[in-house]
Amino acid sequence: MDIISQLQEQVNTIAAITFNAFGTLQRDAPPVQLSPNYPEPPATTTATDDATAFPEQPKQLSADLVKAAKQFDALVAALPLSEGGEEAQLKRIAELQVENDLIGQELQKQLEAAETELKQVQELFGHAADNCLNMKKPE
Amino acid sequence: MAAATYPPPPPYHRLYKDYSENPNSAPEPPPPIEGIYVCFGGNYTTEDVLPSLEEQGVPQLYPKDSNVDYKKELRSLNRELQLHILELADVLVERPSQYAKRIGEISSIFKNLHHLLNSLRPHQARATLIHIMEHQILQRKQAVEDIKRRREEAQRLLKDAFVTLDGQ
Repeated sequence: MDIISQLQEQVNTIAAITFNAFGTLQRDAPPVQLSPNYPEPPATTTATDDATAFPEQPKQLSADLVKAAKQFDALVAALPLSEGGEEAQLKRIAELQVENDLIGQELQKQLEAAETELKQVQELFGHAADNCLNMKKPE
Repeated sequence: MAAATYPPPPPYHRLYKDYSENPNSAPEPPPPIEGIYVCFGGNYTTEDVLPSLEEQGVPQLYPKDSNVDYKKELRSLNRELQLHILELADVLVERPSQYAKRIGEISSIFKNLHHLLNSLRPHQARATLIHIMEHQILQRKQAVEDIKRRREEAQRLLKDAFVTLDGQ
């Protein structure tokens, strides 16, 4: 894939990691006490399972996010942006067009000369073959 | 329930009955469309241009200049994005009701990023064109060299053949 498409894909990946991260955290977070007036939230039966896996989630998700951001920076560094902007590119295209036309004409000339020579050689060959056939004594 | 058949094709083929005898008796093909046209109720334009951010109502976060330093702006937008994501996490913990503004800012950063990347596409198109033309020039030069070489080879063979024939 070309680099600009890769960059665009990377931006979308960062967005996906972000909303997946927040969504997962919001879905899986254990209940928390909002105010000292309300009683402690009851610990659920699966608390032990969550307690081990849950704090790992933000670490993993943030590691993914930072990795994606670093990947984006690396891709940006790899952009082959030649300096000079639009006018320099257009000038180069005009130069290349002129050179292309010149060499196209030279190629055409060579091609025509080669075709004439080919026709001459074919004619010569035809004559030689005819003479050979005429000189051959029938058995 | 009765099902209707498809409508018949448009009867324009009758206009081309005498095309083989007189090509001018049939109508010309329609000219190419210019400007804005309507297709299935939607307005389409024939000019392919990237609409600027202001037209889409999104604030432009990178400096508006004729020669934008793309790498620098992309990197700084990336850092801004990370900061805003952290801010969003913070807001969700402390003041959960104020998430909407943060999300708006994050989405505006994403739109700026994509707009910057899209504005790189014409540059990429021109660079591709330059690359293709250079390649074509190289190929043509090689073809010219090839033809010259083969002609000289053929001349040499012919001369040798003549010499052999004369020697007989």
